[in-house]
Amino acid sequence: MKETIKLGLTLFLITAISASILAFSNKVTSVRIAEADKIADQAAKTEVLPDGEKFEELEEGKAKEIVDENSKITEIFEGYKGDELVGYTIKIKTNGYGGEIEFMTGISTEGKITGIKVLNHGETPGLGANATKAYFTDSFKNKPVDKEVAAEKDPTGDNEVQAITSATVTTDAVVEGVNIAREAYNSKLAK
Amino acid sequence: MKLSKVFYDGLVKENPIFVQLIGMCSVLAVTTSVMNGLAMGLAVTGVLVGSNVVISLFRKVIPDKIRIPAFIVVIATFVTIVEMFMKAYTQDLYNALGIFIPLIVVNCIILARAEAFASKNGVVASAVDGLGMGVGYTLALLILSALREILGAGSIFDIQLFGPSFEPALIFIMPPGAFILLGILIGIFNSLRKKKSATDA
Repeated sequence: MKETIKLGLTLFLITAISASILAFSNKVTSVRIAEADKIADQAAKTEVLPDGEKFEELEEGKAKEIVDENSKITEIFEGYKGDELVGYTIKIKTNGYGGEIEFMTGISTEGKITGIKVLNHGETPGLGANATKAYFTDSFKNKPVDKEVAAEKDPTGDNEVQAITSATVTTDAVVEGVNIAREAYNSKLAK
Repeated sequence: MKLSKVFYDGLVKENPIFVQLIGMCSVLAVTTSVMNGLAMGLAVTGVLVGSNVVISLFRKVIPDKIRIPAFIVVIATFVTIVEMFMKAYTQDLYNALGIFIPLIVVNCIILARAEAFASKNGVVASAVDGLGMGVGYTLALLILSALREILGAGSIFDIQLFGPSFEPALIFIMPPGAFILLGILIGIFNSLRKKKSATDA
């Protein structure tokens, strides 16, 4: 019994020291992590909505309405050029092949998709990870929001985007997300 | 114990991937590109050296009966620190490696070296052992990921090597291709090793 207590206390000591070291590391890095996330976020907004100069979070009531209807939408920001509202940036999370794909869609007040940017993903390099490449994301630019977007191997129609070779699940996840953003815009944000 | 021998054992004679065949899951999963293989190899080497040193320092103090949980706490702490710093300073690599960073905790190589070497040897020797095994692991990852990326995607470090007419063999990006290449590499590595020890004898 005495030995068990001694062993237990030793383990407790080891884990206590470990936890303190981890708490310290966390303190040292958390500021930097939050900052890095913020910078990446801001850069993404400007990339998907190039006309936007200033970005403001969508008014809480309206945002809640949209998120309640579709929980895959995680964030909506309004993009302004001067005082004029030029569009929205919508952050979405869908299920890809290797976990969740988090990406941002830009939609202009003229009803066009201005761009998409993948922020976080766990897709396979050489396959699904090509979702971050320009040949895929560029194919979403200027697509009108009134029709559903679909992926094709050789996109021709004005609602067709480029499918990623051998990465159907990834492609479908991004297309699903873009369509969710589209519908949210059409039903709640378009004037 | 000659330190150079300790290092050489880790790199060649007892290479964790090609000879001991431990820590394989991460090898297959992260070698889809050279950048990922290199990042993983460096992260594992860092954790290996760190945990070997700490465990060796405390080897006389940690009671034998609770040594395994103690080792695991040390290893998990190092991995978590590496994860935090990667998330803060190298976000792109952190996102690329994703779940495989926390999985370093259960990478057999680290626990195996703690049990087989660090708990029974001095601090400097343990550090060198960690370094040797880590570099041996990184070398294996680099070779395998270079082959997989060149054959399967036609690039290296994301730089396209061939023109657009190159048709990559996608199988090498996927697990079956990894197994095939790994098997061939193990065969080559071991036949080279046997030849060398035959000429040494």
